[in-house]
Amino acid sequence: MTGLVIRRLAVGMFVLWGAVTLMFALLRMAPGDPATLMLGPDATSAEVDALRTELGLDRGVFAQYLTYLGQIARLDFGDSYRFNLPAMDVVLDRLQATVELTVTATVIAAVAGLTLGMLAGYRPNGRLDRTVSGLTILLQGMPTFWVGIMLVLLFSATLHLLPSSSVGTPQHMIMPAVTLSLPFTAIVARIARTSVVDSMQEPYVQTAYSKGLSRFQVLTGHVLRNSLTPVVTIIGLQMGALLGGAVIVENVFAWPGLGSLIVESVANRDYSVVQAAVLLIAAVVVVLNLLADLSYSLLDPRIRTGGNR
Amino acid sequence: MPHRRTIRRLTALTALLPVAGLAVGCSTTSGGDGDTSAFTVASPYAVQSLDPYGSAGAAIGTQLANQAVFNRLVKADATGQLGPDLAESWTPDADATTWTFTLRQGVKFSDGSAFDAEDVVSSFKRFTEGKNPNAGSFTGVTATAGADGTVAFDSPAPDPALPGKLTLFFVTASETPAEFPAKPVGTGPFTVANFTPGETLEMAPNAAYFDGAPKLQKLVFRQIPEISSRMTALANNEIQATWGVPDDQLAGLQGNPDVKVETVASTSVYTMWFNSGRDSLSDATVRKALWQAVDFNTIISSLYPQTGQPSDSVLAPPVFGHAAQTPVAYDPEAAKKALEEAGFDFSKTLQIQFSGAEYRQFVEAVAADLAKVGVKAEPAEKEAAVFLEDLLGMKWDINFQALSTPSFDAATNLGRLYPCSAKRTGFCDADLDKILAEAGSTADTTARQELYAQASTIIWDKAVGMYPMQVKIAYTWRSNVEGLAASPTYLPDFSTVTLS
Amino acid sequence: MTDVAEELAATAPPRPRRMRPLRWIPVAVIAVYVLVAVFGPLLVDYDPIATPLADRLKPPGASTAAGTALLGTDAVGRDVFAQVVYGARTSMTIAVLTVSVAALVGLTVGVIAGYTGGIVDALLSRSVDVLLAFPGIVLAIVVAGLFDRSLAVVVLALALTGWIAFARLTRGSALSLRERDWVAAARVMGVSWRRTMTRHILPFVAGPVVALATIEFGLVVLAEAGLSFLGIGLPPSTVSWGKTIAGGRDYLATAWWISTFPGVALALLVVSVGLLGDQFNALFRGRGRPGAANTRRG
Repeated sequence: MTGLVIRRLAVGMFVLWGAVTLMFALLRMAPGDPATLMLGPDATSAEVDALRTELGLDRGVFAQYLTYLGQIARLDFGDSYRFNLPAMDVVLDRLQATVELTVTATVIAAVAGLTLGMLAGYRPNGRLDRTVSGLTILLQGMPTFWVGIMLVLLFSATLHLLPSSSVGTPQHMIMPAVTLSLPFTAIVARIARTSVVDSMQEPYVQTAYSKGLSRFQVLTGHVLRNSLTPVVTIIGLQMGALLGGAVIVENVFAWPGLGSLIVESVANRDYSVVQAAVLLIAAVVVVLNLLADLSYSLLDPRIRTGGNR
Repeated sequence: MPHRRTIRRLTALTALLPVAGLAVGCSTTSGGDGDTSAFTVASPYAVQSLDPYGSAGAAIGTQLANQAVFNRLVKADATGQLGPDLAESWTPDADATTWTFTLRQGVKFSDGSAFDAEDVVSSFKRFTEGKNPNAGSFTGVTATAGADGTVAFDSPAPDPALPGKLTLFFVTASETPAEFPAKPVGTGPFTVANFTPGETLEMAPNAAYFDGAPKLQKLVFRQIPEISSRMTALANNEIQATWGVPDDQLAGLQGNPDVKVETVASTSVYTMWFNSGRDSLSDATVRKALWQAVDFNTIISSLYPQTGQPSDSVLAPPVFGHAAQTPVAYDPEAAKKALEEAGFDFSKTLQIQFSGAEYRQFVEAVAADLAKVGVKAEPAEKEAAVFLEDLLGMKWDINFQALSTPSFDAATNLGRLYPCSAKRTGFCDADLDKILAEAGSTADTTARQELYAQASTIIWDKAVGMYPMQVKIAYTWRSNVEGLAASPTYLPDFSTVTLS
Repeated sequence: MTDVAEELAATAPPRPRRMRPLRWIPVAVIAVYVLVAVFGPLLVDYDPIATPLADRLKPPGASTAAGTALLGTDAVGRDVFAQVVYGARTSMTIAVLTVSVAALVGLTVGVIAGYTGGIVDALLSRSVDVLLAFPGIVLAIVVAGLFDRSLAVVVLALALTGWIAFARLTRGSALSLRERDWVAAARVMGVSWRRTMTRHILPFVAGPVVALATIEFGLVVLAEAGLSFLGIGLPPSTVSWGKTIAGGRDYLATAWWISTFPGVALALLVVSVGLLGDQFNALFRGRGRPGAANTRRG
C-alpha cells in the first residue's frame, strides 16, 4: 500500500511538472504582449520596455522557464494585472463557487446514475435496460450549454420559477447543478449498469437468494456494494473532468467559478491567472486520481487481500 | 412479480434527488437579496479592484467603486459641466501652466482623520507614479501644497484641460499603506464593508460625509455578466437598478409599471477610424465614399432605436469642444462612383476590428452595407488584449471603438489622438497639428472652443474615421428608487438615493 | 487517468435485438445530416455577410424579403434555418477532420508505443498522463483562445486530447499481439515491423477503432459547439450551431427560436451518433480488447 502511494505520488509530481511546462510553452507561443496590455494605449514604448524588464519578459525563454519553475515551486503564481492581486488569491476566490457547483452536481449524478444503472442492470437487455440506455445517450448527447439555456427559457423566462443566473440562494444552484450533472449521470449510469450486470452473475448473489433474501435486499445489499467500486472510481476521475466541464455551464449561468475565470483570463491575456487556475485544476485531477486509486483498493476486498477471494 | 416492487423502490430513490441537491445547495454563497434595506445595483462593468492608482484604475468598474468611497477634486455633472468636490474653486495662471485649487475645509476621512492638502499631494504622487493608464495624461505634472489649504498643479506646458482631466483622479488618505488595503479609507459617501473582486462590493454609508450622509443603509454592487439575467434580476427586484441596457432588452421592460427607464447622452461616439497609413485608405475621397456607402440611419434606428442617435460631430455633445458638422448622407451610387474614380481596389478585403460582443451586430451591419457597393469588409472580433495590441501597432484597416471622453474635454480626445505624433490613425495633417497645438496651449475658453470646432471640421471632412452614432446610456431602476443621478460616463452617483 | 471516450467505449450497452428495424434510425439520421452538410448549402441560400435589419427577430414562418423564414430570423435578420443547414457543414467538417487527425496520430503513437515498448512507451504514456491532467475542454479553451481564430486551430485544439483514446486502444492491442504466434512468427521471418503492423495488428483493432471514432465524433461535435458558444475558435464568417445558440441567449424571452432550433439539430446529431456508437460497441466488444486491461493506468 505504501509503495503504491509513493509510486502514485511520483507519477503525480511528474504530471504536474509536465502540466507546468506545457502551460509555459503555450502561453509563450501565444500572440499578445502582457506588458502592452497592462499599461494601456497611452504608454510610451520606453514604459512598455521597462515593464517588460520588470516582468522578466526581455530575457531568454529558457531563463524565463527556469525562473518560472522556481516561482511555481514556491507557489508564487505572480499577480493578476486585471485584479491587481496575487493570481492564486483570485483563483482560490473563485474555487469555492466551482466546488459548490461540482459537489452538488456530483451528488445528483451519483444518486441518479446509480439508480438508473441498477434499474438497467437488474434485467439486462430488458425493456427498462434499453430505455435507460437510450436515456443515457440522450443525456450525453444534449449539449449542456443548450440544455442550460432551455432550462432558463422554461423556468426563468416563461414560468418565472427560478432565477436565471448568478449566485445567491439555493435556488440559484438548482439549474446549473442539474445541467452539469446530466452527462455525468449518464456515465455513472452506464458504468453502474455494466458493474451490476457483472455482479449479478457472481455466485454469492445466488447464495444470497438461497438464504431467502428478497431481490431488493440482494440488489441494495450485495450487488450495490460490489458494484460500487468502479462507480466510486469513475466519480473520482470524472469529478476532475467536471471541474473542466463546468466552464461552459458556469458561462451559461454566470456562475462566478473557475471556468468563467479561465475564459475571461484567456481573453484578457491575464497569463498568471490562467496558469494558476489551470495548474490548480491539474493538481486537483492528480489528487483525485490518487484518491480514486486508493479507494479502489480499499473498497474492493479482492485487491485489498491481494487477489484471494 | 417481485422485481416490479424493486423497480418501484428504486424509482422512489430517484425522487429523493432534488432533496439531496437542495441540501448541498443550501451551503451556497449568500447574496444581497432578501435584505430590504439594501440597495443592490448591477453595473455592466465588474468591480475588480478598489485601487485608484493600480493598473485597473482606469476601468469603469474601479472608478464606480472609487466614486462611492473617495472624492475627486472636481467632478462633472450629467451635462459635462465641472463642479466642486474636494476643491471649492480653481484658477489657472495666465498661460495655464499652473492651476491652483482651493480645498474644502473641515472634511474628514471615514476613520475620523482630517483631510488636507498633504493628502492631495501624496495621492497625486501615487497616482502619477502608479500603473493607472490615466496617469499617462499627467506626464510631468507635479502637485505642491500651498498656504491656507490650496494645492498648485504645475505642468511643463500649458494645460488648459487639467481640471477636466482631474475628474479621473481620486484622493486617498496620505496614510494609506503601499499595499492598497482591501477596505480603504476615503472621504466619500460610502465605506467598504465587504469586497469580493469581480463579484460583490458591499458598502455602508459614511455618517461623517461632508455633503450629508447617504440615506441608504447599505449599497451593494453585484456583478451579473449576462444582460438578460440582469433584466430578470431587475424584474424580480433582486437588484434595484442597472444601466447600459441595450435596446432589445429595454423592449421587455416596457409596460412594467415597477421599472423606470431614463436615457442620458454619454460622452461616447461610435468611432470607426480608417487606417490612413494603408495605401487603399490614404485618399480622403475614398474614406468619405466608404462613409457614404453605409446607411447608418437605418442601422441606428433598427438596432438602437432608443440608445442611439446619429452623431453630428467627432465629439459627443456633453464634451467641451463639441461643434456640429455637416451630416454625411447615405448615397451608395455616389459612393460606388467615387470609389471607382479614385481607383479603389475592390478585390482587397478590409478588416473591421472591434472588441466586445455588444458591437457585433452594428459592425456586421456596416460590413453588409459596404458589401452592397462591392467593398469587401470583414468584421474581426478581437479579444481585448489582441485588439489593443493591433490598435497600437496600426495592424488594422478599419477600427471600431465606442470612444468616450471621460474628462469631458476635447483635449483628451482630439488633442490626444489626432496629432501626427500620436500615430493612432495613420492620418497626418499640418493644419490640424497647428490647431490642436494651439488649442492645447491656451487657457482662453472661447478660443479653445473655436479651435476644437475647426479641428473637428478637418477630421470630419477628411473622414479620418466614420463618426456615425452618439451613444445614450439607458438607466433602469425600480420605481421605489428616487434621487439616482444618472451619469454620461457610466458612473451613476448613489449618494442621494432614497428608497420609498 | 482516463477520458470520456474511453470510459464510454468500456461500458457495455444492452445487446441489440436482431432484425430490429429501429436500428437503422440512427444511421438514417446521420445520413440525412451528411446529405444536408454536403448538398444543403447548394440548395439553401445564405449570405453570412448581409444583415437584412428590417427582418430581424421574425418568428418561425414569418415572411421576409428573402422568402419565408421557416425557423425565424436572428437579431440581424438572418435566416435561422439556413444557419442550421450551414452549421451542419461546419460541425461535420470539424468533426471529420478532428477525428481523422486524432485517429491517425493515436494509431501511430499507440502502435509505436505498444510495439516498441520500453522507454518510448514509458515516455509516451507519461505525456498522455500530462495531457489528461487538463480535464474536459480546458486545454482546448486555452489553446483555441490564445491563438488567432481559424478552423485549423479548432481542429488542433480538439485533436490535442482526442488522439489519446486511440493511442491507448492500439497500444494495448499491439502490446498483447506482439507476443501472439503469428506476429512473433512474422517477426522471426524478418517481416519488417511496418508490414507486421499493417498486416497483422491494424486489422485486429479496426473494429474497436471504428466504435471509438464514432464516440469521439459525437464528443467533438459537442466540444466544437461548446467552443463556438464561448466565442472561442472559429472566425466570425463561419456559421456554427454553437455560435447561433449563443447569439440567441439575450433573446430567450422575446425570440426563443434562435437558440432552440440549432440546439435541436445539434442534439439530434449527437444522440444519433451515440446510438450508432453503442451499436458498434456491442458489435465489436470483446474483439481487439485483449490488452484493454493493461491500458488503464493511474
